[in-house]
Amino acid sequence: MIRPLLAVVLLAFSVAAPASLSGQSAIDLHGTARAGGGPAPDTVVWLDAPNAPARSQGRVVLDQRNLSFSPHVLVVRTGTTVDFPNDDRVFHNVFSFHDGKAFDLGLYPVGTMRPIKFDRPGLSRIFCNIHPNMAAYVMTVDSPYFARADESGAFTIADVPAGTYKYHAWRSGAAMELAGTWTATDGSLAISWR
Amino acid sequence: MKTIALAACVVCLTGTPIAHAQSMTTEAVVSAGASTDEVSAIGAQLRAFGDVMSGVRFFGEAAWAKSSNDDNDFMGSAYPYNGRVQIIEAYAERTFRPGEALVSIRGGRFRTPFGIYSASDHAYSGFLRPPFFRYDEHEAVSNNFLEHGADLVVGVPRLTLETALGAPADVGTAVRRSGLDAVFRLQGYYGPFIAGVSHMRTSSLKSAEVEGRADFSGLDLRWSHNGIQARGEWMTGHPFAGATTHGWYADTFVHLVGMGPVTAVARVEQFEREEAGESEEEPARRQVIGVRIRLPRALTLNVDVVHRMGSVEAEESRPTTLDVGLTWSVRPHK
Repeated sequence: MIRPLLAVVLLAFSVAAPASLSGQSAIDLHGTARAGGGPAPDTVVWLDAPNAPARSQGRVVLDQRNLSFSPHVLVVRTGTTVDFPNDDRVFHNVFSFHDGKAFDLGLYPVGTMRPIKFDRPGLSRIFCNIHPNMAAYVMTVDSPYFARADESGAFTIADVPAGTYKYHAWRSGAAMELAGTWTATDGSLAISWR
Repeated sequence: MKTIALAACVVCLTGTPIAHAQSMTTEAVVSAGASTDEVSAIGAQLRAFGDVMSGVRFFGEAAWAKSSNDDNDFMGSAYPYNGRVQIIEAYAERTFRPGEALVSIRGGRFRTPFGIYSASDHAYSGFLRPPFFRYDEHEAVSNNFLEHGADLVVGVPRLTLETALGAPADVGTAVRRSGLDAVFRLQGYYGPFIAGVSHMRTSSLKSAEVEGRADFSGLDLRWSHNGIQARGEWMTGHPFAGATTHGWYADTFVHLVGMGPVTAVARVEQFEREEAGESEEEPARRQVIGVRIRLPRALTLNVDVVHRMGSVEAEESRPTTLDVGLTWSVRPHK
């Protein structure tokens, strides 16, 4: 009788141990994003945390290469500066007029770049006014806890302090953004557009 | 010249391990249009481009287009409208960044790097006709000039020298004789300005009555700020001994916040040809105003009003015409 009880206590302690020991424990939130029964790559998932402390995202780049933007979807925290280098020998004219951040970068040659500070939350649709097939999205979120799903739809939000959060999920082409509540004890997070 | 092109390709490929992350994008473009100039045209291009190996990129483009009037420049801004399937560009390219420097080598078949020369600068950019001096029939620097050879860019991003050595491999009706080509272009970039100086020494057109070399020099300038772009080129040269062609154009593109999918365009230009020191006719002048509108479903609509003055050609054409073109562009594979 004692051994099963002890095992349960130890298991519970191991899951909650970082929180209990540090008082501000953090876990990695693993999840999957699916749409129509298949993986939903480039899905952006974030947790509401407007008062969270600053967290360095490093240098953030939206490259213009091979007449395409790379990556196709980018997620940044409000206030992040994104570099837009031109890595093609032709000129591009990057602009964003809808929602989010409005800007027009003009022309600049290969090997040079121009920065843009995304200072308000929301979705910015990025285009090139010279090459109509170039398109990208920058999702600016008021939180340091975010991730972009990989090709298999898997994502990881690292170092999330224990607690309960409202989560959001967005992907290009979806009619609506998904939202819900996630608590650290829920374990993984499954996002699904039907 | 094939040797030069081959050598450039070898340089591009030398020492590059096969990358795990190769990529290829294909792109298809179909355009159709009609003008009150009593001409209609349809064209298509298929492109494939991407990374073939680590650091090495490729670009290939084939085009077909047909016009109801081969002597009219409607829709001929960057491709020949002669009813034949043709390879336009096919090259490999590698760019190195040693420190702050920029070195880029290209080998294969590519557009002649004179002035504002890339296809995307001219094709369906809002203007459905090429500038006068970039039209096949005007014995100047045609947008359908191509090179078989090697192209080298050296410098720093703010100041580069581009040198192309090769042989003419033109498409369209203005085709140069075979021979060695040399094209030089110096480009500087400062703030909103990009300026270039170009010089080309090449063979004369096959259609020229007199054989001999041709040479052209030009200046180009671009300025862009907050959704407004201005650009222009001035060119002068000798298509063959005893003849001189010179001309210029200035373009404006306006795409401000609030204009949404609409870009307004305007062009003024002039072109003149002299032989034995005398102008053959009044300079040709033309003004264009128009719009390019991005529509849903990958469609783009171009509408231009063109007004001509001077030159025999203008007298033979309507002085004012309305040009309309619709372009559908998709990437089926990425």
